[in-house]
Amino acid sequence: MSIELSGIHYRYAETIALRGIDLSIESGELLALLGPSGCGKTTLLRVIAGLEFPDRGMVRFEGRDLTLVSARKRHVGFVFQHYALFNHLTVFENVAFGLRVRGWRLRPKRADLERRVGELLELVQLGELAKRYPAQLSGGQRQRVALARALAVEPEILLLDEPFGALDARVRGDLRRWLRGLHDRIHVTSVFVTHDQEEAFELADRIAVMNEGRIEQLADPQTLYTQPASPFVCRFLGEVNEIPAALHTRWTGARDAGAIAFVRPHDLDLVADSSGDARVDEVRDLGAVVRVEASHPALAVPLIAIHERGRFDESGLRRGDRVAISARRWVVFRADGTPV
Amino acid sequence: MNPARKPSTALRDPAWLRLPLLAIALLFVGLFLVLPLVAVFTYAFEKGVDFYLASLVDEDARAAIRLTLLVTAISVPANTVFGVAAAWLITRFTFSGKNLLVSLIDLPFAVSPVIAGLIYVLLFGAQGWLGPWLSENDIKIIYAVPGIVLATTFVTFPFVARELIPLMQAQGSEQEQAALTLGAGGWSMFWRVTLPKIGWGLVYGVILCNARAIGEFGAVSVVSGHIRGLTNTMPLHVEILYNEYNRTAAFAVASLLALIALVTLVLKQVAEWRMRRATPDHDIA
Repeated sequence: MSIELSGIHYRYAETIALRGIDLSIESGELLALLGPSGCGKTTLLRVIAGLEFPDRGMVRFEGRDLTLVSARKRHVGFVFQHYALFNHLTVFENVAFGLRVRGWRLRPKRADLERRVGELLELVQLGELAKRYPAQLSGGQRQRVALARALAVEPEILLLDEPFGALDARVRGDLRRWLRGLHDRIHVTSVFVTHDQEEAFELADRIAVMNEGRIEQLADPQTLYTQPASPFVCRFLGEVNEIPAALHTRWTGARDAGAIAFVRPHDLDLVADSSGDARVDEVRDLGAVVRVEASHPALAVPLIAIHERGRFDESGLRRGDRVAISARRWVVFRADGTPV
Repeated sequence: MNPARKPSTALRDPAWLRLPLLAIALLFVGLFLVLPLVAVFTYAFEKGVDFYLASLVDEDARAAIRLTLLVTAISVPANTVFGVAAAWLITRFTFSGKNLLVSLIDLPFAVSPVIAGLIYVLLFGAQGWLGPWLSENDIKIIYAVPGIVLATTFVTFPFVARELIPLMQAQGSEQEQAALTLGAGGWSMFWRVTLPKIGWGLVYGVILCNARAIGEFGAVSVVSGHIRGLTNTMPLHVEILYNEYNRTAAFAVASLLALIALVTLVLKQVAEWRMRRATPDHDIA
């Protein structure tokens, strides 16, 4: 089921959370809302779910206007950041909840209900734990119960709020790949919120980068990385060197002294060169890669280069060495933030 | 158990401080709580078990017990329903005047029960605002059972709401939101999610409310009129017997109240214990 949002504005008492969001999400797509905390991404997700109602704007599913329809009637699966499991119910009853609260005519028969819940628990690999209570489960298991519970009502849209935020790094990685696999199997239109760009890149078909209540850029991961629409997007997608640059336009003769060139640490080459201007300040071995900091007399902040272990070993760089610096790839933004 | 919840050994005081503090605490408990309790039962049985039982099955005593049970049976459920509704309203919605409502709920705690009783006399008494209309229509409130119920309900008004508001605030509404997205309506959300969540907190509030309803003296004393066999509750009956120098009978009825208090304490303890167990740590993972 496709989702179209147009002109969504939302304000909490004093702060404006969303300032005119336009977004269409295709049926079967897996979309990430990525941004720093306070950028409005969770509010936007809650607007889609019907847990918040926008001050202005329209929410449509498959062309149907649902702006003022209650969450109860939207038929959307929602996975809460802290899962919001029913602590007084077993895993089985948690998953069965959505089926049990249906009107008596739509409520499945006992055998059907048990079969359906059983299938879902198998799907999330928790068949053995049906009789446990949420307090007896690990974080990753609770997460999967929350997911099974949301899927029990057969939603055509699945919304996940920071789905992996409360888990430790290893469980997070496993669960991420598992969720991607699940999405490829059941093809439900899914939107998830995250502040972790790695998570967004690994999971999503498309990513909406948000900042201060607006969508800065909506694109697939590769485009986002190679053609960022704004300095914000560039900075948010990971460590980047910002080098002041002067732009000189040959045809018009116009100059822009406030431009900035953005270079990723892995696109920066440092080569030992006794006549080079720059000097290596620091070398940090991070295992698979090595992080090198070098200062240049013309720059206020040191440049950061990240080299693969093999390449670094060949270069034989050490702290104090003089080096020549070159960049293999960069993006330049004008002083007003527009890309060149 | 989280180690941070236990008092740290670094905070343990030296023995010279610990032992006197302990002794003072025990002395106070003994002097002000245990001794009177022992005294109640000693005086109650001073003329033997037969006299004790006779004091309890005395017609006026039985009427007083019946009235106390009746009043409790009305005011406790009324305050339970009100308390849950008020706590729901206050924790789930924002509206102007909310702080005023919270303060008003506390009013019965702040006002002396005697004043509370007087308010009802001024409202419903023969000389009160509504007095003439009530007597025309032959409705009796003051010096009758309805007045006692009203006064008791007023005094025990805050217990359930006061217990639930902080609990529901701490629990938040995420589970209710989850229930909503799963298609639950207001009614099934309340019965299947909210009520189980607040269950033991509610029991705790009801127990306290119940204890106070049984034991209320001041407000009831003002509105009751002390008509034997008709408008005397147990605490009033104790007072009358005592004023008539019928000390042993007075303490016999008082011992019944003390017994109820002890049972209440045990129930309260159980409720507290269950409440702690029902609130699992969030970070077991």
